[in-house]
Amino acid sequence: MNPNEFDVIIIGGGITGAGTQRDCAMRGLRTLLVERSDIATGATGRNHGLLHSGARYAVNDAESARECIKENMILRRIAAHCIDETDGLFITLPEDDLGYQQTFVEACQAAGINAEIIDPELAKRLEPSVNPELIGAVKVPDGSVDPFRLCAANMLDAKLHGGQVRLYTEVTGIIREGDTVKGIHTRSRQTGEEADYYAPVIVNACGVWGQSIAEMAGVKVSMYPAKGALLIFAHRVNNVVINRCRKPSNADILVPGDTVCIIGTTSTRIPIEECYNVAVTPDEVTLLITEGAKLAPSLSSTRILRAYAGVRPLVSADNDPTGRNISRGIVCLDHEERDGLKGFVTITGGKLMTYRLMAEMATDVVCRKLGVDKPCETATTPLPGSEERSYEAVAQKIWEAPSTAQKAAASRMGTSASRIRGNNPYDDALICECEEVSVGEINSAIDRLEVSTLTDLRRRTRIGMGTCQGEFCACRAASLLAKAHGCVEKEREDLAHFLNERWKGNFPIGWGDTLREAEYTQWVYKHVLGL
Amino acid sequence: MKLQEYTVSKHNFEECMKCTVCTAYCPVLQVNPLYPGPKQAGPDGERLRLKDPYFFNYALKYCLNCKRCEVACPSGVNVADLIQAARIKYDHSKPKLRDTILASTDFMGTVARPVAPIVNGVTKLGITKSAMDALLRIDRQRTFPSYSPRSFESWLKRRDKEQAVFQEQVAYFHGCYVNYNYPQLGKDLVKVLNALGVGVQLLEKEKCCGIAMITNGMSEQASKNARHNMAALRKAVVDKGLRVVTTSSSCTLTMREEYPNLLGVDNADVKDSLLMATRFIFEKLEKGATLKFKAGFHKKIAYHVPCHMEKMGWGVFSEKLLRMIPGVEFTLLDSACCGIAGTYGFKKENYAASQAIGAALFDQIKTVNPDVVACDCETCKWQIEMSTGYTVMNPISILAEAIEIE
Amino acid sequence: MKFDTVIIGGGLAGLVAGISLQREGRGTAIVSTGQNALHFFSGTFESLTEAPQRMTDLFGEAGIRLHYRPGVRLMPMGTFRESALSLEDVDLFPSPEFARKVLIVNFMGYHDFFSSFLAEGLEKQGMQCRIRLINLPEMDKLEQSPSEMRSVQIARTMDRIWEKVVQEVRVLLKDEDAVLLPQVFGLQDTAVPGRIRQGIPARVVFAGTLPPSVPGIRTQMLLKRRYEVLGGTYLMGDEALNAHVHEGVVHSIVTKNLDNHYLEADHFILASGGFFSKGLRSNPFNITEPVFGLDVEYNQDRNAWYDKAFSADQPYMQYGVKTDETLHGLSDGKPFKNLYAIGSILGGTRPELGSGAGLAVRSAFAAADVILSEAKNLE
Repeated sequence: MNPNEFDVIIIGGGITGAGTQRDCAMRGLRTLLVERSDIATGATGRNHGLLHSGARYAVNDAESARECIKENMILRRIAAHCIDETDGLFITLPEDDLGYQQTFVEACQAAGINAEIIDPELAKRLEPSVNPELIGAVKVPDGSVDPFRLCAANMLDAKLHGGQVRLYTEVTGIIREGDTVKGIHTRSRQTGEEADYYAPVIVNACGVWGQSIAEMAGVKVSMYPAKGALLIFAHRVNNVVINRCRKPSNADILVPGDTVCIIGTTSTRIPIEECYNVAVTPDEVTLLITEGAKLAPSLSSTRILRAYAGVRPLVSADNDPTGRNISRGIVCLDHEERDGLKGFVTITGGKLMTYRLMAEMATDVVCRKLGVDKPCETATTPLPGSEERSYEAVAQKIWEAPSTAQKAAASRMGTSASRIRGNNPYDDALICECEEVSVGEINSAIDRLEVSTLTDLRRRTRIGMGTCQGEFCACRAASLLAKAHGCVEKEREDLAHFLNERWKGNFPIGWGDTLREAEYTQWVYKHVLGL
Repeated sequence: MKLQEYTVSKHNFEECMKCTVCTAYCPVLQVNPLYPGPKQAGPDGERLRLKDPYFFNYALKYCLNCKRCEVACPSGVNVADLIQAARIKYDHSKPKLRDTILASTDFMGTVARPVAPIVNGVTKLGITKSAMDALLRIDRQRTFPSYSPRSFESWLKRRDKEQAVFQEQVAYFHGCYVNYNYPQLGKDLVKVLNALGVGVQLLEKEKCCGIAMITNGMSEQASKNARHNMAALRKAVVDKGLRVVTTSSSCTLTMREEYPNLLGVDNADVKDSLLMATRFIFEKLEKGATLKFKAGFHKKIAYHVPCHMEKMGWGVFSEKLLRMIPGVEFTLLDSACCGIAGTYGFKKENYAASQAIGAALFDQIKTVNPDVVACDCETCKWQIEMSTGYTVMNPISILAEAIEIE
Repeated sequence: MKFDTVIIGGGLAGLVAGISLQREGRGTAIVSTGQNALHFFSGTFESLTEAPQRMTDLFGEAGIRLHYRPGVRLMPMGTFRESALSLEDVDLFPSPEFARKVLIVNFMGYHDFFSSFLAEGLEKQGMQCRIRLINLPEMDKLEQSPSEMRSVQIARTMDRIWEKVVQEVRVLLKDEDAVLLPQVFGLQDTAVPGRIRQGIPARVVFAGTLPPSVPGIRTQMLLKRRYEVLGGTYLMGDEALNAHVHEGVVHSIVTKNLDNHYLEADHFILASGGFFSKGLRSNPFNITEPVFGLDVEYNQDRNAWYDKAFSADQPYMQYGVKTDETLHGLSDGKPFKNLYAIGSILGGTRPELGSGAGLAVRSAFAAADVILSEAKNLE
């Protein structure tokens, strides 16, 4: 067997690609995933991290709403360690129409979402940070989900099922013979090494970048990228998701995610060539703070950690170049049926929430093409780490009296926390003090989760995502990475790159304590450490 | 206020720059590896606790609440408040019998004082110490402060007429220690204030400030005492227009800072009128009042600023007063915790740590070799006297000894 | 309370000004919001290219020996930087190649000393390196704490057991002509770094760690002690809130701890630092100096405060309060008669005074001189 031959190649290391690889691998296929950068670097890692109940879509898009609530319940079971079951509120403010609440609740119920009108006073008790002037509140089963962890767990499970993963590997061309796709040309962005891989089916799961992959294959998929800007606040202001009960609009969702909370988002159409480098503008920052403070007034004086933006992969389902027929729903294209191109499938559109369903749909197509008749089991099989429902249970099982850092590790890794080596002081030593990430957790990520750079490590462990944004942990972790990879010189560059990437999210909101922290970090790295 | 004009959250933990300065000044970290340290226990831990109370770490109980982290913090973060507030909020374990006994200074005083000679004798007995050590885990090397057969309150009550003749009046929050253990300090204060033409009266009825209850997990009882004391203070300050003076730095800090910050008991209307006696006296002298000092007085004094005095920033008043006394040879000891931290050092499990924390201070005292160590805190006094053999006096008592009464 | 001069800020600038004035018999107080940037001090005085006698004297009297030898110093990440003046235990070399072979020694489990980066940096300069870890039983207790294996805690232990380190290094040493150790020696006992150098038969170089900086804390302690021995009043942990000003003259300041007990003085020195130290305050709309409301030099357009590259010189770091030639702080363009701004609160507004530690020391001397000469004129 040629090691470069697979049953299916998946292009794209976002949640859709990772989920598709997992599903294919679980159905016994030999899979390869290639990604030009790291996992979850596109839309997957650049959103709210909201575990939608579907309520947001109930009024305007019943189908999406139904998909969301169904997947919501599935993810609670299979991805427990990536999910925080916070619940959500849809609040009506004096400036909003309270009449909408009834329409909203009815639409939710029709979609199967358990939406319950509650007394505003009760809402205040459930979530003390909520705007006390609210005149109406509906409770829904929203939650939050860590997209990096979810993506990593899918990739890991695919690997445990024999899948292969090539990160930092760019597809430079699609190998085509007549009307059949045969494989891909790739080049490693780290070593420059070129390689060809072959498979009878190739899945294009590149989100907004799927347009150019499709072009390489000679078919047309029209993406209509929409940029969304978000702000991360330095701690959890709210423990329940807060939404506005009105027609979806800008900055009307505040999501508590791990140790922070996130307000978003905006929506601006941008040209596809700008997708690689989206920046948050001062106007967007102002809008997010202003609207955010209406959901939770304390945001007006809470320290902001970062500003970032993502790109929604909106897609035109047909070949209509005008983009009139844009869908926010799932688009699964069998290009054999659509364009007569054999062995090429595009899975796009959709949302983080529905990734598993998208993966199932794509895998069904792949299996049909390959003549494989195996049922999908991703809705019932927990992801690695999610075998326990709560991190309390996980921590208790591993440690007699878990420290805060060990509890934090359990909350991030789920049952995989048992893999943290030793139980010796050296593995317990903290590298990232804000998020409490230990040497053991970092080494475990390096061992299992395809870590090349500090930024990759951040996505898998949360180092540098806390208050200090890498001030102390970046150089400590760089030492560990240098040791693991045996290359100090590269690590020096990596460290500089990491700090630059952190700064990129800091300066758009560079005032107050954020600016103080930046000054200190600059001082430490430039004048104290001499980087 | 404009959006984001100020960014200060509750307990201002986000002003923490993660600079680690606090860890360099935490006395507990130097001796106890089980304590996560002020940075981890305070601002770092707070973010996780806000996510889920599950992340609360019971090792926070090792915090002395000395507030040295707060004094050292370049960002003005109330680190110790964060830690103590977290304990109050999340640690629902019941205090041990021993801790309840140690924290109930009021109750113990009331019970023990009338039979003081017996109690004093008994607590000094080897067998009692062994029993307390074994049963209650109160370290046998500690000696309980003696109880006075007559309380300060009754002493002053019998003198209310002579105090009333002074035109200027202050109220005195004497605290448990002066009332039950060492009325002499109260008498010294009365002597000095009378010499300044100020009469002293009691609060209507004061209770223990509650500091030991806060650190021993009895915050409800502490809040009760706080509300009681606030009512008593209000009667003096708001109704009678008096200022209230104190001679214990920890009681003062508790009533000024911990009541609103930890117990949620508002004190805004009386806070400014609640002063350490040394500040009150310094301010009087600054405004022209005079004290006549004895001729030929000579004392070599080493002044230890107690942690809570350091936190209030008022050590300077005691220092300047002592330096004012003719014949005083003054040394300011390096700023450091003596290790006792109220009831902390009494607990058997903390004894070794307590002594190790204080070691540098004890060494410095021995090097300076003063006639007397001056200090505004009674528990520091016990600790330093036990550990060095040097006599410790409150600056007020030194002042009382140095002045000439006509 | 009344003083000749009240100094706001107790870092390098404030302490140098305070000591200079106390030496001349002026009664001063320092109000300091906690500890200061000396805790992150690298041990070299940037932008001081000559060693003013005055500075060496002042530090020497405090028990801090400085060492003037223009050259390069080794940075903790293995790079070299030009410098001329440093603390005694921070080496300055004529050229980066200070040895042929270097033994780099670190403590087991200590993550704040970057031995692999140091080795790579030295190898680039043609030196051969060997990294070894040592594990002393006396450090077991420290290792138990996941977060507190920090320079300052290690240094406390090392003040007691440095001789063990010397023994361990002697065993490890082969044919290396230099040994590199983390800068965790001589926190309280200033003689320790020298004794280690005597005890090891090779050139001993101390390389910096992540903060807190042990030589920095030592410098702070010694300067503060010197200031207090000279009779200065150091109000640690207090914060200047605002000032009472009349016709361009500051009469007193209000502090957080002393509330209605004002600190009065004939002169005031503002040494409250940059953004980190809260000498300057920023919000989305402006940058201000919070105590006196001094004029601040900055760009009104917030987008101009930053350079997008982390490693670039950031414009905001150049911002500072405006002063006249003799460092009198300006408000609405008019100078205060008795208020002087020194140290990093000046940002880059006084390039002739240098930057960093150099700026702190030069401006502190300058302000003290103006105060002393003004007082002399009055007499």
